Amino acid sequence: MSLLKNPLALSLALILGLGAGAASAGPAAKLPERLPPLAPDKALPVPQIARKTLANGLEVWVVPRQGLPRVDYVLAVRNAGYAADAADASGFASLYAGLLVEGTAKLDAKAIAETAQGYGGAIGANATNDGVVLSGYALPSQAAPMLQLLSDVAEGASFPDDEVKLAQANALQGLKAAQAQPGFKATRALLAAVYGEHPYARSQPTEASINAITADKVRAEHARRFRPDRALLVITGRVGAEQAFKLAEASFGDWKASGEPVADVAPAPRAAPAQRVFVQRDGSVQSALRLGRPAIAATDADYVPAQLAGIVLGGGFSSRLMQNLREDKGYTYGARGGLTALRGGGMVQVSADVRNDVTGASLGEFVYEFGRLNDYPVPAQELEDTKRYVAGGYLIGNQQQRSVASSLAGNWLIGLPPEFLGEYVPKIRAIGADQVQAMAKKYYAVKDQSIVVVGDYKAVQAQLKEYGEFKQEK
Amino acid sequence: MRKRHLCVLLAGLTTLASAAFATASAAESDRWQVPVAVKKLDNGLTVVVSTDHSSPTVGVSVVYHVGMRLEPKNRTGFAHLFEHLMFQGTPAAPKGVFDQVISGGGGRNNGSTRPDFTNYIEVAPVSALERILWLEADRMKTLDFNPTTLKNQQDVVKEEIRVNVKNQPYGGFMWIDIGQHAFNKWENNHDGYGSFQDLENASLADVQSFHRDYYGPNNAVLGIAGDISPEEAFKLADKYFGAVAGRPTPAAPDYSEGLNTAEKRINQTDALAQVPAIAAGWKMPARGSRDQAPMAVLGSVLAGDDASRLYQSLVKRRQIALNIEPLYGLTDPWSYNGPTLYTLFAMYKPDSSADAVLAAIDEEVANIAKNGVDAATLKRVKTKMLADWYNGLEPFIDRADALAVLQTLWGDANVVNKIPTLIEGVTSADLQRVAKTYLTQANRTVIDRRPAATAPAPAAAAPAAAKN
Repeated sequence: MSLLKNPLALSLALILGLGAGAASAGPAAKLPERLPPLAPDKALPVPQIARKTLANGLEVWVVPRQGLPRVDYVLAVRNAGYAADAADASGFASLYAGLLVEGTAKLDAKAIAETAQGYGGAIGANATNDGVVLSGYALPSQAAPMLQLLSDVAEGASFPDDEVKLAQANALQGLKAAQAQPGFKATRALLAAVYGEHPYARSQPTEASINAITADKVRAEHARRFRPDRALLVITGRVGAEQAFKLAEASFGDWKASGEPVADVAPAPRAAPAQRVFVQRDGSVQSALRLGRPAIAATDADYVPAQLAGIVLGGGFSSRLMQNLREDKGYTYGARGGLTALRGGGMVQVSADVRNDVTGASLGEFVYEFGRLNDYPVPAQELEDTKRYVAGGYLIGNQQQRSVASSLAGNWLIGLPPEFLGEYVPKIRAIGADQVQAMAKKYYAVKDQSIVVVGDYKAVQAQLKEYGEFKQEK
Repeated sequence: MRKRHLCVLLAGLTTLASAAFATASAAESDRWQVPVAVKKLDNGLTVVVSTDHSSPTVGVSVVYHVGMRLEPKNRTGFAHLFEHLMFQGTPAAPKGVFDQVISGGGGRNNGSTRPDFTNYIEVAPVSALERILWLEADRMKTLDFNPTTLKNQQDVVKEEIRVNVKNQPYGGFMWIDIGQHAFNKWENNHDGYGSFQDLENASLADVQSFHRDYYGPNNAVLGIAGDISPEEAFKLADKYFGAVAGRPTPAAPDYSEGLNTAEKRINQTDALAQVPAIAAGWKMPARGSRDQAPMAVLGSVLAGDDASRLYQSLVKRRQIALNIEPLYGLTDPWSYNGPTLYTLFAMYKPDSSADAVLAAIDEEVANIAKNGVDAATLKRVKTKMLADWYNGLEPFIDRADALAVLQTLWGDANVVNKIPTLIEGVTSADLQRVAKTYLTQANRTVIDRRPAATAPAPAAAAPAAAKN
């Protein structure tokens, strides 16, 4: 709401896993003589996770903390997200996740909301590609009843007919509202270019997919997707490990799976033909630019070095893209990008929204920066700064309780072990400039990037000639 | 409609923490007392420190007591443009150094402009603290007043306005236009983003005089939260900021204004939006008045979350709106010190109308004015507000910022620990009083914004979609 220097978030950040969001690069400015030195680094805190698996297969991880007065719960269910949606049910998982808290056998939607409010907390679910995450938090005195509410929802969501109908009607309006946003159309086109027919291309709803939903379908999918042997419960906050395990057993011990579990997502493509797509948006005063290509899964050996390469390119305010397109050229409010890795694959993507008359010039700068990352090793100081930036990001996230819980759950959903969180920074520190350049050649070559432009074709058409023939879409 | 963020990530653990507990009426385990230490340096800089050794990181916020209200009259958008220029280098630390040093030290930084203040915030491993303080003191002293960077940031700000306003459905009407129509005085009702013409007209002389007049240590508060003791923090503040000379700050004009006495209704058409929307804003009680906390609680009863009266009425029972979102000016119910609005924003369904949304709002308000709020609801809402208050203070960067903002606007950083008590003290009768006083039709400004494709023939009010 406020007018910000830049659109990068600093506040509570709950990105799952290790998505984009770190960087430092830019031109190596000469440091002022009188600038004080950095003090010695303190030891990196490493997650101490108490782990237990209940008889029904539910994994429970506890990270006791003595921070603010709050207990956080994150229940992640694998293979319950967009990737599990049928080909003609694109975006189903988000509507389904939203409906989880709209009624149980015991409580109607209003009672669920009021109960959570009375605990000094909230409860809600959202879908990701690889799962559904149901989260709740409460004041410490209400830790036990909040976990009970979470299990009532997970095990007993009833999906009342009228709530499903209302969610459908609102989703149709929500889709109309979203389609007015340039970013929404850009994402849709880029995902299609990158993932093709793979389920990862389908995370946005369509009018048809919303209309096809029925309460019976939602209930059937819930029974199929939500099961203890595909779930992880992370508990963090003012609660001891033993007490947390007891609470988890009391609330979730009787949860039972039924039928066959959802199959793992098929591997996503690791390469795709580079496409050129223009999506017409009448009256646009900016072009939304998106470039991307398929990449790798989070468990791939290249994940950490490819992540670091992306952070150098477009991870944060000091990244090359931001420094070039914003700080040097004044083309945009924000240019960013990097690697997104999921369970079955991933993508590289970069983005900027730029005024119409620098659309072509901005694409030129993207091309230049991809090329520079390929052709030259990252200078030592820039690489060191970027690694420190990543380490700092770890510490900053680590300071926040919910961020810890969400990261653990997010990593688990994409197949990374619990230790990964604490190992990430040391792994980043071990990467050399040669590895970054190798990653650039593999995943950040400009010839492999699809280009999507959302804007006013008449206004920018002439600037796009040198970038190829753009397929026109609505 | 919230600030659009790209997110930071990650996490791990901490097992030691230093939360002190205050005794209070709520369950003792649910209370949190934030330590606060305050010291004023000789040059007028107020330093506020909150120690927390649970993480080897530190949050920093430098809050200047100037915002959009005090920008020059022929320079709309200048306070915000100036905020951008604070990141563009100084004689000692040329452009590029600031961000490179902070991110290279593992940190994150940002800045933002509001009506009553401008803040500059950082969070980083504590090993980078001295560097951050050096950089902040350096730009408090002077800037590199440079035509190239001025032009660059004029361009960047224009792109920011394009991305958030001109190329955006709704164009931020619920936080930009609403105030332009609700307030009477220029300080309160001009566009804080500014016109392109005014932005282009900004000169280096303007930049110099604004820095001289409003960016002295005497007009600033430094907040520090995290892995450092008050003694050490005060010592460092003195070391880096002590030599920055204070300078006279111009007296602010009287920009106070009373409640409105006649409803304002504005119709707008929107070429980009596909779903009609409404914003209704009411002028709020003054900062520090006895009505402030009741107004905050009333705002939560009405629209705080999915349990709120209006969410249940508009979205669930009547099913005429997709959402209902409360806004408190550009900040929150506690961080303002001049005329501000409580605004409700809702996207409504094509077969409904702004009048239907307003009727539902009026019904809930009238009910509270007549009957108050039942004890169970009041307790639930207060419990949630208390928790939300603590949640907002968890990240060190936000804790440092809250302390610096409260010190700036209330003259007392300890308000951070008084707000829970203020919330708890609100009675049903208080809610009746503020509902009757502030949430009246006469004090209300309403904008009905409809997609151009579906808008009816323009009524009396002129459409005011995108402004140049």
